[in-house]
This record gives sequence, structure tokens and C-alpha cells, in this order.
Amino acid sequence: MKRPPQSKKRRSVAIPTASMGDIAFLLIIFFLVCSEASKDRSDLEVTPPVSEHVRKNKVPVAARVAIDKTGTIYFDGDRVDNAKDVEWGVTAVLTRTVSDDQRHVQFTCDATLPKESFEPVLQAIATAGGIIEAVGNEAE
Amino acid sequence: MKRLGRKKKYRDITIPTDSFSDIAFLLIIYFLVATSLVKIKSITADLPAGEKSASAKTDKTPTINLRGSEIFFNDKPLDLETLNARLAALELGTLDPDKRVILLESAAGTPYQNYFQALAAISANGGVVALVVDAKK
Repeated sequence: MKRPPQSKKRRSVAIPTASMGDIAFLLIIFFLVCSEASKDRSDLEVTPPVSEHVRKNKVPVAARVAIDKTGTIYFDGDRVDNAKDVEWGVTAVLTRTVSDDQRHVQFTCDATLPKESFEPVLQAIATAGGIIEAVGNEAE
Repeated sequence: MKRLGRKKKYRDITIPTDSFSDIAFLLIIYFLVATSLVKIKSITADLPAGEKSASAKTDKTPTINLRGSEIFFNDKPLDLETLNARLAALELGTLDPDKRVILLESAAGTPYQNYFQALAAISANGGVVALVVDAKK
């Protein structure tokens, strides 16, 4: 037996959007609290070295030192004249630290640079008491 | 002359908040786009800062020499794989910190790539890198 045709009842469903603004602002606050402004210079021309031993860096770094393709040295994104400036900079940063975990210094250097360019900087970091986190790419 | 007291008119002022959620979501999109989630990969090398005279260098301290593209371990040429094996055989991780020292010497002009690989090999096997630097003339 066929049912008699019934007229469909459409309910008007209103999506509650009143709290959307609150949710959005909570998300913004979350991002602001969780994010850290990068002190890295992303525009540097650096080809990182390759090794099978590199691992994801899990420790926070106290300072960032980089040497680009031309041999220019950068300390926390600012250009410095020589390795001595790096030593003073790292020393100044590490005076505020209390444990070994806070002594890590990120070191980025172009793979093609000769020893004369990077070794004084490595020595400067070591002299200042920093533990070197040498940035590289994982060998495939 | 005193002004006649006027009745204050209170207007019904409402702050328009309808677009707040739009603004907030625009800010979220900005943060999502601007945030970099790149995780940096690195090796950890704790170089001792102290100085040691050449006379204090003992014969027992393992030495890695980098001469151009060649690697020498205790003056014997080898490749990177063999170096890793030799360092692993030393079981540096089980030794006292002062006995974990590996001297790293390099010739002038050695590229950072070779240096980095040697550093990585030493660090991965639990060694402590000691740089051998020429005294300034």
C-alpha cells in the first residue's frame, strides 16, 4: 500500500556563531604564547654539510652563529667583524645560564668554506663555554 | 548667570562586534602562514676550551688528521666508514670523560664538509673533540 504523499517539513537550523570570535581569539593567544620569534637569518646563502649522524635538535639554543658562503660571520642574525666578537657575544649570553643544557650554541656554516674561515669561530664558541650544535643535513 | 539645568541625553551606543570573529580568524591565518615549523638537524660537539701544550700530548691519544679529502687515523689513511668502525671499536662512551678525547687536526684549506663529517663521527661515538690548532706566529 502506498503512503499518501506528505509535505516535507524543513526545520530551520541556526548554527550558533556567537562564540566564534571568542574561540578565534583563544587560538590567537595560544599561538602568541607558543611561538618564538626566530633569530635566524633565513636569507643567508649557506649550503649545509651532510652527514649520516645528524639528528633533530631537541635542545633550546642560547645563541646562533652562522657563516655564509662569502665567509661573513653572523651572531644572532647580526653581522659581526670577526671570531672575537662571537666569543664576547657567546660569553655575554652564557653568563645568564645556570645549567649545561642552556649552553648550546647553534653553528651554521657553508660546507665549502675552508678551515681558516670557520675554525676560529668554532674555537671562539668553545672558549666562551658553548656546546656546539653544528647544523647539517642528513645523508640519504 | 547660571545656565539652566539641561537634561542629559543618553544615546544608545553599541560597539559593533560583528566583525571581531573575522578579524580574529584573519590574525590566525596570518600566524599560520608566517610560522615556520622547520626542525633543525644538527650534531652536538662539546669542544674543551682549555689549552694543552704539544709536549703534553701523549701518543695514546687517538688523532684524526684531515688532509684535503683524505682522512688519517693515527697516521693511517682510511675512509669515513672505516673511521666510524674504528671509533666505535674504541667504545668511547664507556670511558672516563678525560679518556674520550680525540684530537682533530686539519691541513690548511680543509673544507667544512670534511671537518663536519669527522666531528659527527667523533660525537656519534661518544668522543670529545679536541681541536689541534697551530700556534700563532
